[in-house]
Amino acid sequence: MNINLAIAERARAGQLLTAAELDELWASDVLSLGMLAEEVRRTRFGSDVTYTRVVETGNPSGAVGTGVELRIGALPASLDEAAGVVVAARRLAGTQLLTGFSLADIIDRHWADLNEVLRRLQRAGLNAIAEAPVDRIADIAALKAAHDAGVPVRCLSLQRPVDGTRTGYVMTVRSLVQALPSLQTVAPLPREQSVAVPTTGYDDVKSVALARLGLPMVKNIQVDWTQYGPKLAQVALTFGANDLDRVSTIDDESLGRRRTAIEDVRRNIAAAGFIPVESIPS
Amino acid sequence: MIDLEAIETRILHGGRLDAGEALELYRIAPTYWLGRMADAVRARKHPDGLVTYIIDRNVNYTNVCVARCNFCAFYREVGHRDGYVLGFEEIFRKIEETRALGGVQLLLQGGHNPDLPLQWYEDLFRAIKQKFPDFKLHALSPPEVIHISRTSTLSPPEVIRRLVDAGLDSIPGGGAEILVDRVRKLLNCCNKATADEWLGVMRHAHQAGLRTTATMMYGTVETDEERLEHMLRLRALQDETGGFTAFITWSFQPDHTELGAAHGISEASGIEYLRTLAIARLVLDNFDNLQASWVTQGGKLGQLSLAFGANDMGSVMIEENVVRAAGASYCMDEVEIVRNVEDAGFVAKRRNMHYDVLGDPFFREHDVARMLELSTAREAGDTSVPAELMHYPARSAAGKKQRARPPASPMA
Repeated sequence: MNINLAIAERARAGQLLTAAELDELWASDVLSLGMLAEEVRRTRFGSDVTYTRVVETGNPSGAVGTGVELRIGALPASLDEAAGVVVAARRLAGTQLLTGFSLADIIDRHWADLNEVLRRLQRAGLNAIAEAPVDRIADIAALKAAHDAGVPVRCLSLQRPVDGTRTGYVMTVRSLVQALPSLQTVAPLPREQSVAVPTTGYDDVKSVALARLGLPMVKNIQVDWTQYGPKLAQVALTFGANDLDRVSTIDDESLGRRRTAIEDVRRNIAAAGFIPVESIPS
Repeated sequence: MIDLEAIETRILHGGRLDAGEALELYRIAPTYWLGRMADAVRARKHPDGLVTYIIDRNVNYTNVCVARCNFCAFYREVGHRDGYVLGFEEIFRKIEETRALGGVQLLLQGGHNPDLPLQWYEDLFRAIKQKFPDFKLHALSPPEVIHISRTSTLSPPEVIRRLVDAGLDSIPGGGAEILVDRVRKLLNCCNKATADEWLGVMRHAHQAGLRTTATMMYGTVETDEERLEHMLRLRALQDETGGFTAFITWSFQPDHTELGAAHGISEASGIEYLRTLAIARLVLDNFDNLQASWVTQGGKLGQLSLAFGANDMGSVMIEENVVRAAGASYCMDEVEIVRNVEDAGFVAKRRNMHYDVLGDPFFREHDVARMLELSTAREAGDTSVPAELMHYPARSAAGKKQRARPPASPMA
């Protein structure tokens, strides 16, 4: 293994690596970094890979069945409209988990006092804020406000691609999780991609590995199955990821049972040497 | 149980894997172990840290095909309204566009069209060489050579000789699929070329002084043993002739194919691709170059291939029709290929088909527009028939009927 053995030992022991150590890991060769991340993940969190089936509002072909999360994407222009969208979505969701929005988008609207806004959304039927991209909002007070309002943030994400090492991102996430330990899901791959200059495969898998090694207190390192696709998402599982988000609920069997979304994700997880476990949102 | 440490020592010292060892490694060796070994072999063969690519255009001169392979979504039957044959002028225009991007050759392949006689190919090649003397023709995979051999009643070596006289420079390794006839029968591609026929054409080509590539399409109905048998047959021919420049493998693309629909076959996974690439690097110890198939796996897996034994990013392609028809539509222009190569820590160099380095990236010395989508053979709905096609005899009833008609007036 072409990697600093002392750092690897500290990572295996679940110790908090310094920024300099994370920088050194980032500069390691991609296979050595991946091997270490996979080893740490298996040792600390086992071989399960969870996946969540999500119906996004505005997708008429999605079916809101048992065990499915209904997620509202775009944030409306006004708080009244946002609350109305939540109420409508709650009718559709029934008793299923209803999540929605980015905490950064909500803050950027400056509708009213954040605590009041979050409580209003909660009263309208929202169970959780879907994500907080920490490159836009790294304010622990806002994350705690969501938690206290009964709409906790489900995932610490990343909005835009980052040039170079991801150490800064990992250290920011770490400080947030240390302050609010209920944050247990981190999605280290950016939500936005440039068509002309997308992140590379090396970027993506190294980002996943660094998140796994730099965040020993976080259980779930998540990859978006729909955005990143089966190939990259599957490979990311061997670089420390253990949770797949946004698996489609559309089980079109017209091309055969083996090619339905649910079978596709389970097959890919098993083929990577892991155990597929459907995450039942609650 | 296989002794990985002993195998590792042997691989690192340039030793050869036998069939049993290769199969066991493919099945049970950890993916990272395969990657590390494949990367070590790549580094031994290419210690300069170069990763090459070629600027060429992948042109499919016709989609009319009588082979009817059940894994193919590209072909159209004889007489189908969407069937096409490119005209010489269309191909010249594609070459001019390719040269403007720094391109040095055409990868020219197409369906087994019964209405294109040997003379059509010879005339096309000669016309290209006359207009573009230094432009290379990497053309006609072994099944196409066999098809022309059958329609012309000439032997494959004679067909190759005639095509070389007309301007053929090298032969692409398409149509290999899996070089095991049990599999080829199930894929309905045994008639276009048996495994022995495919290898025979390559043997003749190598003996005629041509260099060729070799390919493998996996993920249909074959077993692991048959994938390895494919690689071992290529290795044996390479021992004999040394004529292969590179090996390229990709997974079956199931969308819109008869095989995908009838059997519900999903595309093989990303990890399976990386493992297959890595074991190929270990088994094919007499091949210098392994390409990353970004066109089927995407740019991200294409780049990761460089850590699993690949030393070449293949072609800029400019145009692609075959895997697009089966659902894959990735694009990497030269800028993107070079960025991925350098991001992975390698030095990017342009090459020709013989893997001679031609120079640094073309776009760094020339003003080249970004290309974010690959072109297609023709615009959708273009059903025009090239005028020169009327000068060649057709064999099919549909072809004879078409060529009996006077060419349509542009004003009609």
